[in-house]
Amino acid sequence: MLGRGLKRKLSDYEENMAGLSSAFDSSRSLPYPLKRQLVLNMCLTKLQTYKMLVEPNLHRSVLIANTVRQIQEEMRQESNQQPVNVCPGITPSSHSYTGMESCGISLQLPSGISQQESNCCDLRSVEDPIENSLLIVSDDDMSSAISSILKDLDFVEDISPPTCLVPTGDDQPKFPENTGLKLEDDRQDLKGAECVFGSFEISNSTSYLKDLAIDDIFEDIDTSMYDSDFCCPPLMPPRSPSLANEEPLKTFPSCNSSSASNIQICRTDLSELDHIMEILVGS
Amino acid sequence: FLGAGGGNDIQWCFSQVKGAVDDDVAEADIISTVEFNHSGELLATGDKGGRVVIFQQEQENKTQSHSRGEYNVYSTFQSHEPEFDYLKSLEIEEKINKIRWLPQKNAAQFLLSTNDKTIKLWKISERDKRPEGYNLKEEDGRYRDPTTVTTLRVPVFRPMDLMVEASPRRIFANAHTYHINSISINSDYETYLSADDLRINLWHLEITDRSFNIVDIKPANMEELTEVITAAEFHPNSCNTFVYSSSKGTIRLCDMRASALCDRHSKLFEEPEDPSNRSFFSEIISSISDVKFSHSGRYMMTRDYLSVKIWDLNMENRPVETYQVHEYLRSKLCSLYENDCIFDKFECCWNGSDRQVIFNGTVSFFLLPLCSIVMTGSYNNFFRMFDRNTKRDITLEASRENNKPRTVLKPRKVCASGKRKKDEISVDSLDFNKKILHTAWHPKENIIAVATTNNLYIFQDKMN
Repeated sequence: MLGRGLKRKLSDYEENMAGLSSAFDSSRSLPYPLKRQLVLNMCLTKLQTYKMLVEPNLHRSVLIANTVRQIQEEMRQESNQQPVNVCPGITPSSHSYTGMESCGISLQLPSGISQQESNCCDLRSVEDPIENSLLIVSDDDMSSAISSILKDLDFVEDISPPTCLVPTGDDQPKFPENTGLKLEDDRQDLKGAECVFGSFEISNSTSYLKDLAIDDIFEDIDTSMYDSDFCCPPLMPPRSPSLANEEPLKTFPSCNSSSASNIQICRTDLSELDHIMEILVGS
Repeated sequence: FLGAGGGNDIQWCFSQVKGAVDDDVAEADIISTVEFNHSGELLATGDKGGRVVIFQQEQENKTQSHSRGEYNVYSTFQSHEPEFDYLKSLEIEEKINKIRWLPQKNAAQFLLSTNDKTIKLWKISERDKRPEGYNLKEEDGRYRDPTTVTTLRVPVFRPMDLMVEASPRRIFANAHTYHINSISINSDYETYLSADDLRINLWHLEITDRSFNIVDIKPANMEELTEVITAAEFHPNSCNTFVYSSSKGTIRLCDMRASALCDRHSKLFEEPEDPSNRSFFSEIISSISDVKFSHSGRYMMTRDYLSVKIWDLNMENRPVETYQVHEYLRSKLCSLYENDCIFDKFECCWNGSDRQVIFNGTVSFFLLPLCSIVMTGSYNNFFRMFDRNTKRDITLEASRENNKPRTVLKPRKVCASGKRKKDEISVDSLDFNKKILHTAWHPKENIIAVATTNNLYIFQDKMN
């Protein structure tokens, strides 16, 4: 909390945003496409901010996504009806959207029609802050922004089947391409979850073991995976499917703080396998 | 001023305020729900720290007939604790989203309280006597030396200082993937529903390890999601009927007898959009934040960002009445979107069963509940009331500056544009951090509870 007498300073970004939105509200002379662009930028910024949260608010995300879709549809219809006027740059850098830089992913893209500048369809961070001030977004990237956020919400929220649902609750946890998405975060204190995924890695390998002749085991197996300090599974890139993991994960009951016994099971599995490996390797 | 049942105007006076005086608001003290019990004797609040505080109304003092009993703290307990979901590495907030009281069946009181994921049934019971005079134990509980026991006596109950105990009797967990926004007790008093963003579950109060999923609007592909559930409530009389509202401004009425999974509504209430009011934010401000049936069940009330609408259950295509809560905000929507205020979820409530006594010529009389006034909150610690009969409305402020008991509250006025008159406040001066989201009306009397961020105000009408 700030002490008394100290004025709270808005960051540049916040000041710009507040200025822009009150300009939107108060000015009647602001051209419609500009207003629309401003709203769109705000929506996308919010969605990006939510993406960085561990648990985005589903209600808000849906409302914002719908607003983006609505604007997208409007722009699409306009561009279908007439040759596009690229929306003039909003202003010099005093109103530049510097906030987008910090968001990691910025959407600096040409309008739907003029595809020549399609090299800008890059979802990595943009170098030039002034270019950011003109953020005309293409359909595809808006759609993918919305899709990715909603898909993330699915993964984050609906992993475990609610254990109490009677018949109609058809709640198989869906494991689309996002397995491991949230594991990228720093989670030193989350040995529990890591053990969960760790044990599934191991269980896959044990079936592999069964397939091999006994003699081959000593030569081919990379036992570094079974070192006792192994806790992190090899991190999977965000959107690659890990279908091998789907099966065991589906059977895994919901692992929340009220079922600590699950975590105990993981640890037991690990140490038992350790023990088995020691015997097999003969050390 | 307002007119209300019997032709008397209600003149609201400050009665009490509860909570810290500091300007620094502790996060945990933020009030998140307010609810009177069925008799009005008890008033429960839930806060962001997972605590429930119950206030009890004093018995009316015969000598002080000019005011009704005050509310004093009756019980405080920690309903929910923060939890950690290891599988999803998410913290589950302990904030109490809703409290609903069960009707009283015996000496104890029961309420349901819920956070984002778990609903709990709490029993609140009193103990005001204890047994004394055991043969084998001392008063402090130590066992007596048997050789000293020479006589036999029957223990008797002696009065003790009142002790109020709260104990969790049922925990209804693990049934909601998304965040619970509503709970509603059925008129059968045996079942209740809980609603999250995408699903509604039906529970039996006695059974915690199973629930029935009665509504599921989750699409197979989450990318197709365009609408979420925002509130749900059982019909007050018809135990197979409930409604749920959505983020698109629609209300669906469902009949549980139609099918096990009520994915097809029996009725869909939706008002066509007014094209003259269309803006980029139209959909966001149409999202319904609260839905409440009238006591008879004939009407229901919904709250969206700018208005309160009254619907007749027999008419689906538009509301029968619409009241503008703070229309002057319509020209500020972009700023309100930027600072996220546009997502604030205001609740609304009806006045209590305004009992009107009618003599039918003989000795008997009828008591008719009249839902004639609606109340809802706004910004700057203002709250609004609309009288459906007189069509008058009033804006009042919950502030410690008005805390002289029995002084009638002064109505407030917001100046939307043009020249600001004396005593009016301009839109740009409104404090959007001071929002009144939760209000409650005593079920039988003209007493209201209004929650600001961390304070609870109680107002009553001036009794003559």
